Amino acid sequence: MSQYGMVIDLNKCVGCHACSVACRAEWEVPVGTDSAKRKQRRNWVERLGPDTTPHGLAATYYVGLCNHCDKPVCVDSCPADKVELTFTDIKTGKKQTLKVSATWKDPFNGTVQIDKERCLGCGACADSCPYTARYIFEEQGIPKVDKCTLCVERTTVGLEPACVQTCIARARIYGDLNDNKSEIARYITKGAIRLENDKVKIGPNIRYLGNKKDLALLNSTSAVPLKMAEINQRRVFMASLMKSSLQQLSGIGMLGLLGTLAIQKADEK
Amino acid sequence: MAFQMTRRSFLQASAAASLTTALSGWLVARAQAADSAFVKKPFTAPGSFGGSVTVTGGVCEMCFWRCQVVGKLREGKLVKLEGNPKSIDNGASICARGNAGVKLLYDPDRLKYPMKNIGKRGAPVWKRISWEEALNECATRLQGVIKQYGPHGIAIFPHGASATYPMHYFEHLVGTPNNSEASFFQCRGPRDIAYINTFGVEAGESVDMPNARAILLIGTHIGENIHVSHVKQYLKGLENGAKLIVVDPRFSASAAKADIWVQIKPGTDTAFLLAIMNYLVKQGSYDKAYVQKNGEGFDKFTKAIAHAELDWAAKICDVPVQQIKEVADLLAKSAPHVAVHPGRHVTWYGNDFQRERALACLTGLLGAIGVKGGFVKSKGPKLGRVKWPDLGVEHAEEFALHKKADKHKFSPPGTPTQMLRDTALSGKPYPIKACITWGQNPIQTIPGQQETIKMLQQMDFVMVVDLMPTDITMYADILLPELSYLERYDIVKTGTQWNFSDKHQQYIAPRMPLVSPVSNDHERKDSVWITNELAKRLGHGKHIPVASMEEMTEKILAAGNLTLEQVKKENGIVLLPGKDPYGVPLPVKFFNDDLAEAGYPGAPIYTPVPEPPKGFARLVYGRVPVHTFNRSMNNIWLNAEIPENPIWLNQETARKLGLKDGEKIQLINQDGVSAQAGILKVTPGIRKDTIYTAHGYGTRNPAMTNGVNKGLDEQTLITRPAVDPETGAHGMRTAFVQILKNGKALSIPA
Repeated sequence: MSQYGMVIDLNKCVGCHACSVACRAEWEVPVGTDSAKRKQRRNWVERLGPDTTPHGLAATYYVGLCNHCDKPVCVDSCPADKVELTFTDIKTGKKQTLKVSATWKDPFNGTVQIDKERCLGCGACADSCPYTARYIFEEQGIPKVDKCTLCVERTTVGLEPACVQTCIARARIYGDLNDNKSEIARYITKGAIRLENDKVKIGPNIRYLGNKKDLALLNSTSAVPLKMAEINQRRVFMASLMKSSLQQLSGIGMLGLLGTLAIQKADEK
Repeated sequence: MAFQMTRRSFLQASAAASLTTALSGWLVARAQAADSAFVKKPFTAPGSFGGSVTVTGGVCEMCFWRCQVVGKLREGKLVKLEGNPKSIDNGASICARGNAGVKLLYDPDRLKYPMKNIGKRGAPVWKRISWEEALNECATRLQGVIKQYGPHGIAIFPHGASATYPMHYFEHLVGTPNNSEASFFQCRGPRDIAYINTFGVEAGESVDMPNARAILLIGTHIGENIHVSHVKQYLKGLENGAKLIVVDPRFSASAAKADIWVQIKPGTDTAFLLAIMNYLVKQGSYDKAYVQKNGEGFDKFTKAIAHAELDWAAKICDVPVQQIKEVADLLAKSAPHVAVHPGRHVTWYGNDFQRERALACLTGLLGAIGVKGGFVKSKGPKLGRVKWPDLGVEHAEEFALHKKADKHKFSPPGTPTQMLRDTALSGKPYPIKACITWGQNPIQTIPGQQETIKMLQQMDFVMVVDLMPTDITMYADILLPELSYLERYDIVKTGTQWNFSDKHQQYIAPRMPLVSPVSNDHERKDSVWITNELAKRLGHGKHIPVASMEEMTEKILAAGNLTLEQVKKENGIVLLPGKDPYGVPLPVKFFNDDLAEAGYPGAPIYTPVPEPPKGFARLVYGRVPVHTFNRSMNNIWLNAEIPENPIWLNQETARKLGLKDGEKIQLINQDGVSAQAGILKVTPGIRKDTIYTAHGYGTRNPAMTNGVNKGLDEQTLITRPAVDPETGAHGMRTAFVQILKNGKALSIPA
């Protein structure tokens, strides 16, 4: 299986924020925060330091995006009904059918994707992500979760991810982490690290290469989540309640009344 | 493909695929009709490449480096800007500001119609008027000033590509010398004049960093300032193993990548440079052959700097002697492949001409001219120019203030801002009663803000042309809306590949509109049209050199045997074989007799600057990578990245004053003037005697709905600018500040 990901080369990165703005342009990501105060972004640059580290004074950048994790907690948190999806490996044509909710990890390329139409907009996945990589997009009336897709839509047609293309330093290396002939694999052997610790070890596939002091600084900030995040259970419950009511009532036409009852029940809880 | 292979997604994928294969077909015409097979999925952004066309020929003007860009358009609306992949300059990359050009184009706060101020200057009440009325009033009132006071009664404050044509009209044809270009007097002026007076050529940023063995940056916070291909040059140099020396009171973005960081006391850089040069001379570790062959006045120079011992400099600069020696030795060891960076914005202390002279002399001393890694001018294509007839030049010369006063004898073109403003305020030697600003915001650009406002208030007429309602627009009598770089022609960008080790190529990229300049929600015009309309009304119609921006571009290209049609066929960029730029030695006037005869030091000298009074720190400023000084602060995408300019304060100082990182405080200066509140950034990465913030925030105009009062305008605090003697340029790191918290001014401990 391929595992697509990225390495951020902090030796090259100058913290220009081009990637962050290009992503916003490419995917029409709104500015500001959603109604749960999450920052609306798929891709971000946080300026770190100057601060002292055991290896000297350092200033660097937390260049963040969805990690397309090995063990994505967001996928497990989604309460939407599971449906069967058939995935096709572009390279080999091989097929695999899986039961997935509204968000899943692609069995062939390792990226985590979302079906916006089946997404309930409950925010469980956004709450569950320890890297705060998801937010709820509310601009079209119906809330839907949104996050970095690793630009699979672009890479499928031979384009680089938008952030990679605009990077003036060529500091974002995109590729298949499991292909030991790829450029990105060389970065892993050079020692590109994952942002994880004992409490949060879900296998993020965005890695960081840098000198000792820059990595020390990065590791000392909130770039490395200190604990697994909590899901707002009330929201999830309400969403799943709506969903099961809707299922039972589809075609009967009494949705309105029982929909209200369902919400009353949730409020009592 | 990872997605569910429904018929819908298959269609989308194949549509996108056919868009890709058709891309090579697109390279023939600048734009084609969108692919009809594009299918829009609900709640899913299609991506810039979904159902869009690519239009080539854009040249960015979010800053003035002018990367070559393409636009992605969907149904005539620009959705994204990207680097033109054909560019040998920036390639497919553009920076944060380049990407954010979309949000300038569609900024709802952009100026739309000609406006008349029926309120007061500074507290405007806007009435929309027609172009006819606006131009008639401008012409009548300008004519009035010319009649009563002479052409020199007009002052102009231009900036940017679109301002060149009108600036040239007023200076060369109408005949006013009172042209204050921010590029010169608040930015690069002392640099280029100093290098002209050392090497005979302008400095530019012409150091071959990709191929250097050592790079010396005095200030020059590359990474916090962004010029795309320049950053590429710098990073290539580091990748190739160049040693980086950064001299800065603050741990800047470039200090963060440095091998040696010299945490110098602000204002003392020239002492540092003189000591290094003196040391190299005394050690004999300089390029004797180069100096012998190309140097002038070397003996006078060595005598003039003989006093500059290492410990003299160490004391003045507050850095260890060992470190100065380390830097000198590294430069000598790496010579001649040393990139001594000339800087860009150099108007720091009012002694900047001398610092720039020192940088040029150091370059010559190391023999770092015309060789790999050194000072090397690129050999780019030469094209034509569009000029107004020089009918007013003689008059302008006669009334040039600095010439009349026999001051600032090495001024860049135009008139030093301080002199111009003082004259306007005093009326001596003559009144200046009309002010035209074109793409410049003097309120935030020029130090001595209150004097600038007084100068504007005493004018008979103020005309402002701009894109956005920056602070200066509040003082206009007539305010005119201009087309943005995405909607017009004007300059032709030329250059070479950025790495001189690569194949030698030249490029020619005329700016072409990416979207239509005409729309039913505005009446914006371009600067050629506006200027020509004024010229006709001022009786200069027969001297008009070009009828349109397009004609202007054709004329410029014609000198290089090119037409716009040809350029369009080449996807906006014409590539030509280039020339090897290496091997060009330059004369080095270590001692310059012209300077000496004019009464200025013939060799570089160190002039100390006033110290901060006890309890004050010096305010220094710089850039953030997402803004172009004060031009872009209303842009919602750029705001989202760095919403305010934090105030950098030393960690130790903060601890002593009981201040916390992230606190809201104000700065107050030695004259009791305070600026808007800002957020404190407590860090060990700045000297205790120095406070820093980025320039370009804190507009006071409520019409800038995204940028208004976000962060602080540090220009407010610079109430005592210095003036460089040789050039008349400003020095702006002259403010001494304290922290103002809860109405109480906190003394900065030593």
